[in-house]
Amino acid sequence: MGMNGNIYKPLRSELIEVIEESPQIKTFVLVPEHEFSFATGQFIEVTIDGVGEAPFTPSSSPLEKEKLEVTVMKTGYVTDRMHTLGPGAVLGIRGPFGRGYPVERFYDKEVLILGGGCGFAPIRSLLYNLKAISDKIRKVTLCYGSKTPEDCIYKPYIKELRATPKFEVLRSVDQANGDWTERVGVVTILLDDVKMDISNSVAVVCGPPVMMKYGTFKLLEMGYPEEDIYLSMEKNMSCGLGKCGHCMMGKYLVCKDGPVFTYNEIKNQPHIWN
Amino acid sequence: MRRLSIAKQEWDTNLSQLLSKYRIYAPIRNGTNCDYLEVQSALIPHIAYNEPKPVTPLKKFFLPVRENVTRVAVFDKPSLIIGAPNCDVEALGLLDQIYLDSAFPDESYRKRRENTTILCTDCLSINEHCHCTSYGLEPKGNMKSDLSLIRMDGDVILNVYSEKGEALLGSMNINGAPEPGRELEEVISKKSGEVMEQLTRQYPELPDYQLSGELVNGAGEKVWEQFSSDCVSCGACSAICPTCSCFLLVDRPGFEKIRQLDTCQYPGFERVAGGEDPLRELAERFRNRYMCKYVWKPGLYQEKACTGCGRCIDCCIGQINKNELLISLKE
Repeated sequence: MGMNGNIYKPLRSELIEVIEESPQIKTFVLVPEHEFSFATGQFIEVTIDGVGEAPFTPSSSPLEKEKLEVTVMKTGYVTDRMHTLGPGAVLGIRGPFGRGYPVERFYDKEVLILGGGCGFAPIRSLLYNLKAISDKIRKVTLCYGSKTPEDCIYKPYIKELRATPKFEVLRSVDQANGDWTERVGVVTILLDDVKMDISNSVAVVCGPPVMMKYGTFKLLEMGYPEEDIYLSMEKNMSCGLGKCGHCMMGKYLVCKDGPVFTYNEIKNQPHIWN
Repeated sequence: MRRLSIAKQEWDTNLSQLLSKYRIYAPIRNGTNCDYLEVQSALIPHIAYNEPKPVTPLKKFFLPVRENVTRVAVFDKPSLIIGAPNCDVEALGLLDQIYLDSAFPDESYRKRRENTTILCTDCLSINEHCHCTSYGLEPKGNMKSDLSLIRMDGDVILNVYSEKGEALLGSMNINGAPEPGRELEEVISKKSGEVMEQLTRQYPELPDYQLSGELVNGAGEKVWEQFSSDCVSCGACSAICPTCSCFLLVDRPGFEKIRQLDTCQYPGFERVAGGEDPLRELAERFRNRYMCKYVWKPGLYQEKACTGCGRCIDCCIGQINKNELLISLKE
């Protein structure tokens, strides 16, 4: 969507690859008809022609201009259809929309990232961004949880991240099986293992609502100030333009004022965890 | 602002000539119902002037119930809307902020707004639930419309506020029309004083807009459960509200999108794919509308999101009166 174009008209984008991340989650690699850029944490609307549209935060690097990736869990009308698509399909995208991660506020800080399930998608984009500016960041600790080892996504990327200086990755699963050597339990138990200089740190949380809620509470307990906890909110962003009203969260329109908020900004708004 | 007076017959003749240049819409009374119709010559003598709100809110001219927003809206002529009440004109202030937002202007809305000249009416009577004065508004034309009109006996008094208003006058044959005489002004002023008086008697206990916001914000669950017990989620209150403008985008083949008016009163409005639905409960949806009208929208846009037209009270099949709710919050 160009600045002068029709705000409702999607930009045609070719699906060139589908990566199976887990039984329920796939990554779709898209090549938009025109150059398309976004800031990490901003979201886009993806249209399946004649079927429907849904919001996703790209999981690819914001520095990549030729293509972008969305990582999608099969969980509803549009995503079910999306999971049936293969290379060659043409999708539509609109955006980018909203306010992403304020990366410049992470400079000279230790960044603690708490992610769950498909909430890893926006986080991966952020990690790509942080890696590109790692000279400005003290360290990045990712705590990632999923239901089972099969549900862990981005396995090759995790390996790569673990080999990157300044980056560490801790993982947990709710239910383990034979091969799992990392932690077992809800993702927040990983926070017991991290050592952060909290006075010089920010925290980022993205995942299913219940995980966001207890994750945030635990971070507050650890001593993170409310204004240093960044949450990526999931609401029913339909138009992405601050008009349709579906993502209203009290005094905010999540599509416009968010989707990234500090806990301090939204703590008194209704229904932030559901 | 310019104020001038012409004879009613002259006004009607001019309207008839304007039909070649404008599509004209005006309220026409049909029994107890008064609503906008597209005006043809034969209807000109039947236009209902200075009546309070037509059944349909003004927003429908700019936000049709359903519209393909991926196609370019084309209009054969500019539109002239006669008889828009000020409660509806005020409501456009909020809609303009949402739809003409400089980052993401809605082209269809913008074109309709630009293509339309609004002739506001001074209400010379009121309807059962009118209460604009409770919210600091007056039932008469102001700078937010292009022109306003009062018809008093044999005279038509016009106020011209905008360039579009001047353009309309320029295409009429009324050069040299005088300002209304002192006697006529006195009659108008007396009449409009009476209407103001009637309005203030409508809901004397009603908290003003700001206090309503504070009361709504502080109201407990019991209030919403009690008042929503007769709500059937039909959405009529939103459909008929001049400021409610939420919509759903419906996909059509060819990457086309239909903007279809929607409301938070319908189940599933905020439901996300994973199943979470903040407004699953009826009482929550019901409360959401009051919070939106009196707390959230005024905070987001510095505009009133209720202009006191009272249509939501008129149309509620559960006979829920939002003013009774607001008054009860004071107790």
